Amino acid sequence: MTESRVDSRQSTVDSQDPFAREAELPHSLVTINLGPSHPAMHGVVRLTVTLDGETIARAVPEIGFLHRGFEKSSENSTWHQVLPYTDRLNYVSPILNNVGYIMAVEKLCGVKDPPRSQYLRVVAGEISRICDHLTCIAAFGLELGAFTVFLYGVEARELLWDRISELTGARVTTSWTRIGGLASDAPPGWAEKVNECMPRVLELTDEIDALLTRNRIFIDRTRGIGVIGGDEALDWGFTGPCLRASGVNYDVRKAHPYLVYDKMDFEVPLGQRGDTHDRYWVRIQEIRQSARIIEQGLAALPPGPVIIDDWRYALPPKKEVYSSIEGVMAHFKHFMEGVKVPRGEAYGYTEGANGELGFHVISNGQGKPYRVHVRAPGFPILSALPRLIEGHMVADLIPIFDSINMIGGEVEQ
Amino acid sequence: MNLPVIPSGTPQVEPPPITKAIKMEVDGRPVECDARDNLIEAARRIGVHIPYFCYHPRLSVAGQCRMCLVETSESAGRLVPGCQVRAKEGLKVTTSSPAVRENQRGIMEFHLINHPVDCAICDQSGECKLQDYYMEYDHQATRIRTSKVQKPKREELGPVVVYDAERCIMCTRCVRFMDEIAREPQLAVVNRGDHSLIATFPGHPLDSTYSGNTVDICPVGALLNRDFRFTSRVWYLNKSPTVCTGCANGCNIWLESRGNVAYRELPRRNEEVNHVWMCDAGRATHHEVNEGRLEWPQAAGEALGAEVAVKRAADILKPLMGKPGVALYLSAQCTNEEAAVALLLGRELGISRVAIGGRPPGPGDDYLVREDKDPNRRGVEMAARAFGMEPGDLGDAKALVAMRADGLQAPPRLEVFVAIAPADVPGASVVLPCSHAYEQDGTFVNWYGRLQRLYRSVVAPRGDAVPGWVWARRILGALGFTHEVRDAGQAFALLAQRAPELAGKTFQGIPDEGVVLPSLLPAEWPARAPRPR
Repeated sequence: MTESRVDSRQSTVDSQDPFAREAELPHSLVTINLGPSHPAMHGVVRLTVTLDGETIARAVPEIGFLHRGFEKSSENSTWHQVLPYTDRLNYVSPILNNVGYIMAVEKLCGVKDPPRSQYLRVVAGEISRICDHLTCIAAFGLELGAFTVFLYGVEARELLWDRISELTGARVTTSWTRIGGLASDAPPGWAEKVNECMPRVLELTDEIDALLTRNRIFIDRTRGIGVIGGDEALDWGFTGPCLRASGVNYDVRKAHPYLVYDKMDFEVPLGQRGDTHDRYWVRIQEIRQSARIIEQGLAALPPGPVIIDDWRYALPPKKEVYSSIEGVMAHFKHFMEGVKVPRGEAYGYTEGANGELGFHVISNGQGKPYRVHVRAPGFPILSALPRLIEGHMVADLIPIFDSINMIGGEVEQ
Repeated sequence: MNLPVIPSGTPQVEPPPITKAIKMEVDGRPVECDARDNLIEAARRIGVHIPYFCYHPRLSVAGQCRMCLVETSESAGRLVPGCQVRAKEGLKVTTSSPAVRENQRGIMEFHLINHPVDCAICDQSGECKLQDYYMEYDHQATRIRTSKVQKPKREELGPVVVYDAERCIMCTRCVRFMDEIAREPQLAVVNRGDHSLIATFPGHPLDSTYSGNTVDICPVGALLNRDFRFTSRVWYLNKSPTVCTGCANGCNIWLESRGNVAYRELPRRNEEVNHVWMCDAGRATHHEVNEGRLEWPQAAGEALGAEVAVKRAADILKPLMGKPGVALYLSAQCTNEEAAVALLLGRELGISRVAIGGRPPGPGDDYLVREDKDPNRRGVEMAARAFGMEPGDLGDAKALVAMRADGLQAPPRLEVFVAIAPADVPGASVVLPCSHAYEQDGTFVNWYGRLQRLYRSVVAPRGDAVPGWVWARRILGALGFTHEVRDAGQAFALLAQRAPELAGKTFQGIPDEGVVLPSLLPAEWPARAPRPR
């Protein structure tokens, strides 16, 4: 990895100046490891960085330290047993993964969840998106020395994770969706609680915005750093905030509306420069847009069931299981053999926190998936990391890496 | 996408060959079938499953359950039973029209009106047609608000079968089986309407030797095997093909086990051996795997390690090599492989006296039960001949090597006795624990000379027990002989080299359904015993 470089040019500097002489000393490239166990390497990713002085000559990301064999494990689990695995893909916004996976399966089954479930999926999904963005920005600030930003971000995220745990019973291991609906309805008073905590979340977001967006140091370290143009970002397969920071208006929620996003009034914030600062700024703006969606969703939340009444796909109510042979048989079949998803294949795609989250599922008609593939939005973006950081100073590495928000769980599956 | 086609129901019988071909249509797809097929069998030929409870390919048609009703081009506006209606040239059958689906749903609802909420405590759970068809054809909540009819829940119909009348859907498969296959009409339908149930005649329990088959063909959990009941959930069991050790018929079976415990036998189809049935005695043979086993080598009541035991056996046999008065005993319970390596050991020891014994004969019949209660007498006799030894009696042997000791009467002046057996052998100097035939790869030859494969169905080890031929090979090794017998295939090859009946046969080449050794075929056959084609 090391190459020797000797400057053979005739010296033109003052030979009496010891510092000037030093610059002409022969030097070589230095290869260092960043990670896999480094606090700034979110998840567990290793970067082999080759430095030419303080400039990054080459960077090679290496994944696999968090590989769990999600896709293969899915083939040995019933369709519903895959759900807990999806929690662990993007573990900062697990509900978005739950929704993305189950919508792909629902496409195969040809079922649609009831309106209340659709609204709740949207609301909980946007809460998860805010959590994801807050986490990204909080860690971003922390790693540039802005500890206050981290504390504000995590305070806001805690408020939302409390709401998530009231809704699903868990902060991150939610496993909340089911084919044709949800595992559980929102508890009484949940909407009011969300409406109560959202102003504080937005207030903290404003504080972070005020602390960072026009901060001289922050701008110096992010503006014009890690620039990627819209066309090139598309070529790399960028989606989500990183693509929109480069000015490309693509958001699955707008381009191919699903659930009830077509009934929601929200905007897609776009960056202009495609640099690290824009990737940060787009996320701040998206938090505010998500808050709008949450408010509208809760206002329009219709009454009714949260899961379909089709026992081929949805569990019978417990009363039926305990008191009727029909219910106990359906229950038995669901748990012993799994939902028989019709033969075929489907690609379900939703807007995850980091971009287009796609699930390609294939069924051979049995209770377990024949094949599951996940298109993790973080994977193509991480692939472009060398392109983003090569040529920059070593100090720019961390801000750039923070701004793409790599999540080990989904990238390594 | 080329995905494997998995039909929704597992056929109990492969479609028979077509003798008189006709062409018809099922769900718009052309079918070539036999003129004797009914609509269910015709549709099965192209993988279309018409659901049924009461129909059974080997029993007469009852038309009892109404689940197989389909539409045909000859019965517009009317549904006909697929089990009763014969295939016909040019007939168009529809198996999934709205009317057919509605009938299937309605029939399932009727069948479940009085069905108890028993899945959690029912042995049939997991292999129950009601469960399968409910999810496939009904999947709706109950609409019944009245209480269910209560009936007897644990009627012991006989030594093997217990009956739960509430679970029964009155398909009458069991009644027809007893009438037509077992030919002992011991069951009948009594009472009428939703009070009808299956019963025996007063004073005559269901004691036929084939009564266990009624449990197998019962599509629901009404008839259950008393031996298997409440011992395991069926989905925990590993299913492996093998051959029954109960008698010389060699019925093909599925042996179900978990860990080193065997739970039950189910008949496996072989048209030339046992059709799709087996007897009740055969269903109890798995107890020999679980009970009364010798697990560790023993010498005079003292447990030994395997190597010490082999050395001790070799030490006491070595001085006797080539001396007169040494005999070899082979039980007809041995696999061919065990017999072959035991005979090899006997020949290296210079033994010329071989006796073949076995369990005492018992009752037989003209169908599947043979009087010879050993599974491999023909094979062991063939092996002895192949090694040039004519079976006789033990005489007054002073030293004895026994491969399994069933039926062994030890000679009075026995001084040295090495036994390889699955259970303890009283009076033996050294006993080496031999695994059960259900725990071994190997071969048996049945009463009419059919060579059939055994598989290692119970896989987890039990103590130091290994196939008997392994012990014989170890003793050979300790005596300084270097015969290479690493697996059952090589043990079989030892025999195949020497036995003219097995010329050209290889262990791996034995087909699933077995192969007939023509020179062993008997001259007389019991009247109904299945024969090779």
